[in-house]
Amino acid sequence: MTGSTLGRSLGRARKRLLEDARGRNGRLLAVGTALALLAPLALTAYALDIVMQLFVAILVVGSWIFVAGYFGMFTFAHAALYGVGAYAAVLLVAEAGVNPIASILLGGVVAGLFSLPIAYPVLRLSGAYVGMVTLAYAEIIYRATILLREITGGPTGYTGFPHLFDGDSVAMYYFVLFVVAALMLVMYVLLVNRFGLVARAIRESPDAARMLGNDVSRHKLIGFVVGSSIAGVAGALQAYSILIISPPMLEIERMIEFMAMGIIGGLRTLSGGVFGVVVVFGLNELLRDYGEMRLVVWGAMLVVVTLYFPDGIADSDFDVRERLAGGDVPVRERIREAIGR
Amino acid sequence: MVSLELLAQQFVNGLFFGGQLALIAIGLTLIWGVARVLNFSHGAMFMVGGFVGYYTLGATGSVLLASVLAVVVVFALGYVIEHSLLEPMRDREEFDIASMVVTLGLAIFLENAILVGVGSQRKSFPLLTDVVWNVAGLTISAQRLVIFVISLVALGLLFLVITGTKLGLAIRAVSQDSDTALLMGVRPKRVYSITFGASAALAGLAGVLLAPMFSVYPSVGWYPFLLAFIVVMVGGLGSVRGTLVAALGLAVVRSISMIWIASETAMMVLFAIMVGVLVVNPDGIGGWLDG
Repeated sequence: MTGSTLGRSLGRARKRLLEDARGRNGRLLAVGTALALLAPLALTAYALDIVMQLFVAILVVGSWIFVAGYFGMFTFAHAALYGVGAYAAVLLVAEAGVNPIASILLGGVVAGLFSLPIAYPVLRLSGAYVGMVTLAYAEIIYRATILLREITGGPTGYTGFPHLFDGDSVAMYYFVLFVVAALMLVMYVLLVNRFGLVARAIRESPDAARMLGNDVSRHKLIGFVVGSSIAGVAGALQAYSILIISPPMLEIERMIEFMAMGIIGGLRTLSGGVFGVVVVFGLNELLRDYGEMRLVVWGAMLVVVTLYFPDGIADSDFDVRERLAGGDVPVRERIREAIGR
Repeated sequence: MVSLELLAQQFVNGLFFGGQLALIAIGLTLIWGVARVLNFSHGAMFMVGGFVGYYTLGATGSVLLASVLAVVVVFALGYVIEHSLLEPMRDREEFDIASMVVTLGLAIFLENAILVGVGSQRKSFPLLTDVVWNVAGLTISAQRLVIFVISLVALGLLFLVITGTKLGLAIRAVSQDSDTALLMGVRPKRVYSITFGASAALAGLAGVLLAPMFSVYPSVGWYPFLLAFIVVMVGGLGSVRGTLVAALGLAVVRSISMIWIASETAMMVLFAIMVGVLVVNPDGIGGWLDG
């Protein structure tokens, strides 16, 4: 990208951001940011930990939406690549003496590299086939982390982490917040620009996008690798914030959890993903004492949302007050529509 | 050096396992071929079949009744699921992804609802018979042979229905072109629901038949589902013939490879084969068999 096009892109992103900020989502974002910045004043270390994991989940789900929602590449390999990022970061520090902060970025790079072998088949496949081939790849990586016990510590996982910031949890919190916010902004800027428009064109009709002169394969490849790398960074952040990594981090169950968050919130926008993560996290905390009951609720939510809210519960006409007031409520309309059909 | 007996033994074990696998995988391929649904709740259907069988057996002591009831209940469950959850989304552009997500949600819901209801402990299921034959140095368990035969009979019946009955004709018509079938007086919606029910019923039957080996617990369906998933990808989604060949072939490969490698590694090899086949030809080996 040349200097002037970069300048123009940023200008356009800034304009979109300002437009968004004037809307309801902007106010929600402002309130959310203020809460996130002030949280360490009010929360215990334990609560802060949970919020940190919420941020990491926002980044993973955001990066999944980047790939699955915008490009329509419905990947199941995201949790596995998130795990690869975590293992890579920690092993680089332990085995190669890399600086821990740099290792977080490198975790993303390694996850990006790991996404390449599957990226090429994904470019040529569509719809459910993408899901199948990425699911198989995720299982291979997951089983490899269990089998390669000399490197990964096997099924029990890997500990022996360096503490970041001498174990200062508030500093760690702000660091995670900063990295997550920065990467979400990177994705946002990409998506409100030409790149994002092409992505959506590819999702709607690859052939039409190609005929308009876009290099579809290149866009999909970049989208897939960038999204996967960001998942890798998120994995590395998670590793340093919980100080243990083990194979369950890469399991298909984790993937389903991230997918559920994205789908419940809405795959069409990054903010939908954020909303979904907050809702599912809140639900998990509410139902903490009921064990598997929360999975029952989630499974049902996944079904109901896909059936009645194809764009998630946070689609573009989302408005808390309107919905709470019960006036001209989009939710009810949608349900009525769905039942009428 | 691996002895010939061991190879032969693993070959036979693999073949038997392939028959069981085919029973699970063919339902999966059938519903994709006819209704374009990649059914992630197929493992849950297997699990429900196992539970229905387990409780029926406990109450009546009859394995036959347990099997029949499992088939009937899971058929009804499949019919209702298709009718109430998948049918309303059929006209959507991204139906294949939406149906994948809905069936996945359903699988999580069913598995955990049963987990909350009855707990996670494994319920063991008695063997039909513990007779073991020795034929030319090979150990053959009567139980496995019976299951193999029942699987083949069930699949044979399915073939007969598809090739020889009016319903089968309707199923084939809808899978080829549902709009034209509608014009010819076939009701595609009915056909989708019945096919989904039949596909689920096969998984339910497998759930009972394999219960002595897998036992019965809420998440019992995932492993057979993953194996069946690999089988249908390699065999070619939608190709019944390809799936049958792939089930037998992959089960034998898995069984023989386990002489040298652990089952975890064998699973990885199978997944790698699947990725390879999908990259070379997304239609799997069924593309060649049916073409």
